[in-house]
Amino acid sequence: MAELKLHHIYKRFGNVTAVGDFNIDVADGEFISFLGPSGCGKTTTLRLIAGFEKPTEGIITIGGTEISNAEKGVFLAPEKRGIGMVFQSYAVWPHMNVVDNVGYPLKIQNVSKEERLQRVMKMLELVHLKEYAERFPNQLSGGQQQRVALARALVAQPSLLLLDEPLSNLDAKLRESMRFEISAIQKELGITVIYVTHDQSEAMTMSDRIVVMSMGKVQQIGRPYEIYTQPANQMVADFIGLVNFIPATAKGDRIFVNGHETLSFPNPKKLAGDAVIAVRPENITISKTGGMVEGVMNHRFYMGDSVDYRVKVKDQIIRVIQKGAVYGTYHDGETVYLDFDNVMSFAKEE
Amino acid sequence: MKKSLPRLDSKFVVITISVLLLLYFIVLPLLVLIYDSLFIDGVFDISNYKDVYGKKVNWRALTNTVQLSLIVMVASVIVTFPLAWLVGRTDLPGKKTFRTILVASYMIPPYVGAIAWVQLLNPSVGYLNDFFKFIFGLSKAPFDIYTMGGLAWVLTLFYSPFAFITISRAMEKMDPTLEEAARISGSSPLKTLWDVTLPLMMPSIVAGGLLVFIAAASCFGIPAIVGMPGNIEVMTTRIVTFLYMGDDKGIRDATALAVSMMIVANGLLMFMSWMLSHKDYTTISGKSTRPNMVELGKWKWPAFAVVAGYAFIAVILPLTSIVVTSFLVSMSKGLALDNFGIDAWIPVITSSQYMESVWRSIGYGIVAACIGTVLALFVAYLSVKTNVTGRSIPDLLVVLGGATPSIVIALALIITFSGNYGLNLYSTMWILIVSYLVKYMTMSVRTIAASLSQVHISLEEAALSSGASWIRTCKDIIMPLVAPSIVAGWFLIFMPSFYELTMSNLLYGSDTKSLGVLLYELQTYADTQNASVLSVIILLIVLIGNIILNKVTKGKVSI
Ligand SMILES: Nc1ncnc2c1ncn2[C@@H]1O[C@H](COP(=O)(O)OP(=O)(O)OP(=O)(O)O)[C@@H](O)[C@H]1O
Ligand SMILES: [Mg+2]
Repeated sequence: MAELKLHHIYKRFGNVTAVGDFNIDVADGEFISFLGPSGCGKTTTLRLIAGFEKPTEGIITIGGTEISNAEKGVFLAPEKRGIGMVFQSYAVWPHMNVVDNVGYPLKIQNVSKEERLQRVMKMLELVHLKEYAERFPNQLSGGQQQRVALARALVAQPSLLLLDEPLSNLDAKLRESMRFEISAIQKELGITVIYVTHDQSEAMTMSDRIVVMSMGKVQQIGRPYEIYTQPANQMVADFIGLVNFIPATAKGDRIFVNGHETLSFPNPKKLAGDAVIAVRPENITISKTGGMVEGVMNHRFYMGDSVDYRVKVKDQIIRVIQKGAVYGTYHDGETVYLDFDNVMSFAKEE
Repeated sequence: MKKSLPRLDSKFVVITISVLLLLYFIVLPLLVLIYDSLFIDGVFDISNYKDVYGKKVNWRALTNTVQLSLIVMVASVIVTFPLAWLVGRTDLPGKKTFRTILVASYMIPPYVGAIAWVQLLNPSVGYLNDFFKFIFGLSKAPFDIYTMGGLAWVLTLFYSPFAFITISRAMEKMDPTLEEAARISGSSPLKTLWDVTLPLMMPSIVAGGLLVFIAAASCFGIPAIVGMPGNIEVMTTRIVTFLYMGDDKGIRDATALAVSMMIVANGLLMFMSWMLSHKDYTTISGKSTRPNMVELGKWKWPAFAVVAGYAFIAVILPLTSIVVTSFLVSMSKGLALDNFGIDAWIPVITSSQYMESVWRSIGYGIVAACIGTVLALFVAYLSVKTNVTGRSIPDLLVVLGGATPSIVIALALIITFSGNYGLNLYSTMWILIVSYLVKYMTMSVRTIAASLSQVHISLEEAALSSGASWIRTCKDIIMPLVAPSIVAGWFLIFMPSFYELTMSNLLYGSDTKSLGVLLYELQTYADTQNASVLSVIILLIVLIGNIILNKVTKGKVSI
């Protein structure tokens, strides 16, 4: 069983804190994504779990066993952790063919040759590479190499699988189909997966829970729906989906939009002083007749299934997306009115 | 297209001239050499080869060469691989310094190394032998340098840097996640080394090994100084002996030996470049990751001791021996505090004969480096920056010259440029300079080509489109950008030319005795002290050259 626990994990390189106070309990069979901008510490965290880096502080347990404890000096070597991993660069060995690559973990476990071949072929079937068994990596496309790496990571039936941006080098179409394949394989084998990505749609569609990271810190851990609708802070709101931020001031149980003294929203978080109102473009409705605020149509972009408007309100541009709208309904320079729905509020961040 | 015609013209002229020069000075002599070995008075006749290899001494020299070179190759790889791994992939303390020291032995002239080891391990008065005798109370010297073992020892110490540089470069280029993938698959660090690192490094290991093999087989200085006193002959010393005979027969026998050497050396190098282009795994890498340094843990200090011990034996000990010897007042009194002084230096520095050789060699080095750099610049420009048909031919010719053993080049130049083929350079300084150019231009071309390929073509086009001619563009745009590599290329010709021995020894005349030859003569006349003083002078100049080189290229190129 592979519950994974990270308890107050810190990793410092000199005076750079790559990971700061990481805490998570991952349930057995859960699919977790680490999501965040480049350099936020995703790979480092994964490498800490795999055992390629030693935590500066903190405890990591897998299935109840401590595999790393900085205080006690416990540290289990990567080869003893029973983890499967797919690297950002695939790391398929160029001097071995597909069968040997995939069969290597079994060879290390001294599995007999016949059984090895049988299990390798079963894995190759799973990743749709059966016909490529005899090929060498330089005869495979990037997507095929990635699937070899996946098969190799799964062949020894690890209960925990780590994936580091495995789809980042693929084209959009292949990425889409691999996404579903990985999800399907994970369901079929019932393994725990940690999936690193900086692509939010990947994280949204595949994960049970998402860990949003920034600058080495966990910003929020939650289900995709929670992350999207109730972002914990301005950074998360900004990173996941599109959002308009509007400066505001919190007073008592209302938050007043700066420059629109009559416009206010509830203050469920009991903020005080400088604050920010956040509203997603698809949660704004636009009309010619009246609404919460008045603005001037600045620009329109026709997107096929929707129209992306830029409306100038006082000196701020507000982005509005209307599904199924008709491009010609409004014209630039026209006075329009906006209504905000599902408004979020945050304390002001620097 | 009409407008660009003048530019094509000047390019074409330059190409033609450089190709002709290279053909005349590199290809023609080698062809003449092969021809002379196979034809006697214009008739095809392989009796040269039959004669030569029918004699026991020559056969013995051949087997000695092969045996020695194989031992040196294997020993170099066995010593170098762990060193390269420790220095490149672990948290070994002081690894940067070790790296510098290990690479540095590459810049010590091999014959200086030989002189040093003769001082240390000769059976009668070797410093180390005396030391061991004193420590262990032995009545007899424990080591004799004048043996096959001694020869292999010195060759290994001075040629293993070739393997070290090749292997450690490949190790740095290898994607470390390939090893990590093996670890996470359940493999121990040692098993990973065996299953992944070694097979991936194999092409580079073989390449490094072959370089050492060729270098050891082509070396003249070390076998001449260490082997000859013990009557151990190798191919290069045989060739020189034949040439000293001075008659036609001697020259013909020498050509047969030289052609065999050339074929083996060039063949091995061709095999090597073929292998590297087909099997070089090390460059395969996706998004690169920071190499993960292996923590040595409790092995840290033992490993440090081993590497430090090696660096001490390979570099520090011989250099110290040379320097100390040059400052002894009297060789016979040995290492005593009151026996140190500059007494040996004064006669050398005041001797007009010695100092003439020093200045002469500096002068030849400068002339060779200046001509070579200009040529190298054209050759590199041609092969990297143009798409003229045949643009890489000059480059190939230069590589051919560099790949040919020195002794073969010298012999080819002797028989070609003594008047039969247009030029008579015999006994002039020009034959020496031509030989240096043939042998050493290749490094210079590589260095300049590498930096030229980083100058973006758009910079050039911008200049051309603003109306500058091609020559003008070279001068105004390209030169300033590649200037550091040109300086480096200059030194890469100057330094080995300045202390060259093998070719100079065959090509010098009464007025053109170079420093290397002088040193070799002093050593053979058992004038170790003067030889040491001159060695220290050479080492100082090489050191200064390297410091300048390091400053100019910011540490990217050094000898
Ligand atoms: N070995 C190291 N030495 C020093 N700093 C490091 C090391 N490894 C990572 N870092 C630093 O730690 C931070 C986090 O790096 P990490 O590779 O985990 O980012 P990431 O989230 O995976 O980014 P990306 O999306 O670009 O892969 C970065 O600032 C990086 O420079
Ligand atoms: Mg990363």
